[in-house]
Amino acid sequence: MASNILGLFRYEEDFIDAAERLKSAGYDELTLMSPIPLHDAEKVAGLGKSSPVRRFSLAGALLGAFGGFALATFSATVFLLPTGGRSIITFPPFLVIAYEMTILLGVLFTLLGFHVVSGLPAWRDVPYVEDTNVDRFSVVVEVDEKSDPEAARRILDEGGADEVRDLGEY
Amino acid sequence: MAEYQEPTYAEVNRDVLRTMLVTGPKYWTALGISMTVAVVCFFGPWFYQIHVGVGAAGMNRSAFWGTYLSNFIFWIGLSHSGTLLSAVLHITQSSWRKAIYRSAEAMTLFSLVTAAFFVMVHVGRVWFVHWNFPVPNQMGLWPNFRSPLMFDVMAVTTYLTASSIFIYMGSVPDFAAVRDASTGMRRRLYTIFSFGWRGTQKEWHTLGWAYTFFAVFVIPLAVSVHSIVSWDFAMSIVPSLHQTIFAPYFVCGAIYSGTAGIVSVMFLLRKFLGLERYIREIHLDNLGKLLITLSLIWTYINIMEVFTGWFSGSSFEYEAMKFRMFGFYGPLYWEMLLFCALVPLLMLFGKIRKNWRYMFIISILINIGMLTERFLIVATSQPRKFLPDAFGFYFPSPVEISITVGSFAIFTTLFLVFVKWVPCVSIYEVKETLQPLRKRAT
Repeated sequence: MASNILGLFRYEEDFIDAAERLKSAGYDELTLMSPIPLHDAEKVAGLGKSSPVRRFSLAGALLGAFGGFALATFSATVFLLPTGGRSIITFPPFLVIAYEMTILLGVLFTLLGFHVVSGLPAWRDVPYVEDTNVDRFSVVVEVDEKSDPEAARRILDEGGADEVRDLGEY
Repeated sequence: MAEYQEPTYAEVNRDVLRTMLVTGPKYWTALGISMTVAVVCFFGPWFYQIHVGVGAAGMNRSAFWGTYLSNFIFWIGLSHSGTLLSAVLHITQSSWRKAIYRSAEAMTLFSLVTAAFFVMVHVGRVWFVHWNFPVPNQMGLWPNFRSPLMFDVMAVTTYLTASSIFIYMGSVPDFAAVRDASTGMRRRLYTIFSFGWRGTQKEWHTLGWAYTFFAVFVIPLAVSVHSIVSWDFAMSIVPSLHQTIFAPYFVCGAIYSGTAGIVSVMFLLRKFLGLERYIREIHLDNLGKLLITLSLIWTYINIMEVFTGWFSGSSFEYEAMKFRMFGFYGPLYWEMLLFCALVPLLMLFGKIRKNWRYMFIISILINIGMLTERFLIVATSQPRKFLPDAFGFYFPSPVEISITVGSFAIFTTLFLVFVKWVPCVSIYEVKETLQPLRKRAT
């Protein structure tokens, strides 16, 4: 069974250093938490320069553009009302509808992408320390039977953690 | 002047959360007054109008549009700076945005809600307001998507949706901070609001990307919204409205009044919520510079509007222009120019630009001028179109004046509720602007 060890840090650089050392020692299951976004920590966590969220945004925007134009076209053709010799399917006004729908669905799909990629909402019981949302940086390392919990504790201690705590299983 | 001392991370949490968790008698008094004014001045007269019909308003045969529509433009305009400014400054990575954007975005949201009320008041038979939505009626007939009014419905609902998502997503980490600082029912509620946020790198990374995409979508949206509102007027053939300059004119005016609105709101938040340490002179100075720029653009467009009217050689345009400048509402035209073109020039002086009281007064004057501008667009166009037999006159009735006053109370009420439910300064983004917690720096 895997258990979790938490290291709570006061300084950003200690936090990043400890996370890097744990990573190079073979502890891959790390959760890094901070009160602000940190690019260095994101790198240690293995997060790339882009995010799959952009695919959701693109899909939403394309769907919105086609959907908006299709909605305007469909509504004009389902009940034909020729007026003053003007064309039934007309680009300038319908493109405005398509434009607005591009943005609407782009935003909604980006929201969906955020939830899918981040895994939120996550109201289950997970390792978390409230200080992390104030002024502390925390590393949670998951150790299984194959890895050495003592070595992980030592890296956190030597790395300058204010506190090292055993959080048990989650 | 005391030297500015940067707050620590913990102090940011404490100071911002205090504005939500500690409530004094001044707050309850303000909320009570604004709710009472909203009910007495807005909802009361509105129900009276529903009961007796739209004849209760001063609109008549040649003036089919009145203050309800001019107020709609005003509130939509006021909504423009919040989300737009926040998005533009996010994309350009301007760090001074971080302390003020949350309240500015809230201003956007509540201005839009207030504007939506005016649509419902204006249509008269409010129970048919769903006819505006893109759904067919019982005969299978859909709304006319060629109409600028339908553009408007699509644009404003999209803007309301996008702005709500934009402000909510930016607040998620701060909802987690509220959750952690509270107990009982509030804690349970904010656990739901924060989606169980922990501040993991994956969460930050994903939020950062999603937020940037929201900003990218919101910028063209905001520009389109007020362009479309301008087309409600410009696509008619009414003299003085049928102009290609209307879209940039409206967008510029909207950002101008919205930025002035931000200055007013920041003054009040700073003063009454004790946020002097976060909303500082640099914000005022930058907003002042932005206001001067917008004021000059707005003045230029106004000159161009008069020039193109004159250059058209159309006698109908001349007549409409003459009526606007020298007719019954002439004094209001010159008042608008005084408040929106001349008074803002005072901000060229650094001493005025960095003084909160002066800037508050100037921002209020700008918005009085902008409210007048919107009123003039409506009140001096339709009643003065083409031949004299179609001429009429419009003056707002007491019901319309009361509803106009009440709309400010609705906005104030919503804002007062907001400051107790959402941290009005972004906690995590203010922390980002502080010195990082580094050993070597301490």
